[in-house]
Amino acid sequence: MELVQQFAWIFHIILIILAVMLILCLIRAIIGPRIADRLMAINMISTMVMVIIAILAVVMNEGYLIDICLIYAMISFLAVVVLTKIYTGVYLEARDRRSELKNSEREAVKTDAAESGKGGPDHGIH
Amino acid sequence: MGFIEWVRFIVGVGLLIAGLLIFVVELYGVFKFKYVLNRMHTAAMGDTMGLGISLLGLIVLCGLNFTSLKMGLIIVFLWLASPVSSHLIARLEVTINEELEAYCELPEERAAKETTDAEEKCIKEVEKEGVGC
Repeated sequence: MELVQQFAWIFHIILIILAVMLILCLIRAIIGPRIADRLMAINMISTMVMVIIAILAVVMNEGYLIDICLIYAMISFLAVVVLTKIYTGVYLEARDRRSELKNSEREAVKTDAAESGKGGPDHGIH
Repeated sequence: MGFIEWVRFIVGVGLLIAGLLIFVVELYGVFKFKYVLNRMHTAAMGDTMGLGISLLGLIVLCGLNFTSLKMGLIIVFLWLASPVSSHLIARLEVTINEELEAYCELPEERAAKETTDAEEKCIKEVEKEGVGC
């Protein structure tokens, strides 16, 4: 453990490299053309943050930071599960509504045609 | 501090740097590939192997105590959670992408289903036009 404190600069360099990679992940999340891209980038960010917290726990010699890391892992997994469920549900609902609208339009066209077919001769008689 | 301490330190830092290299490869792959389902492959590599090797290095540095036990627990949890979240994201992508054929080959069933869907749509359009005429 004394060696870790003695050569703390190695860990500081590793932390800086991880922070730069975190920013690159954020860029991926911003330019990602699809929703799945963004979710995946957030997943990567959470993994790197977990490594950063674990390194800090060892370098600062604070054992309780590891508990935070464990909770972070669980919360990021929960976030991915909930967000995918929400996006799938929203998309399916919108698709159902769209197909329903199309069906009702088709029905309306059919009934219009039928009424005009029936109504034409009636008007002629009156 | 003895010889063993130095060996432990060097092995731990080496494993940590190996994990860092795997993160670099992951990031390179994520920017290189063109489609989400390809990018997911490298992202999953970082989730399991990068974090696993990094935390293994930290366990070697830390020695055997409760902290290293919790680190092992994190590795096991990510081994279980990462495939599940990858699967969920891939299923989301396959569900909401309407022109999936442009990006990848589809298995027979889905392709057949889509062609029948297209045929049905065609027939319905013809019917609609007939009614309209």
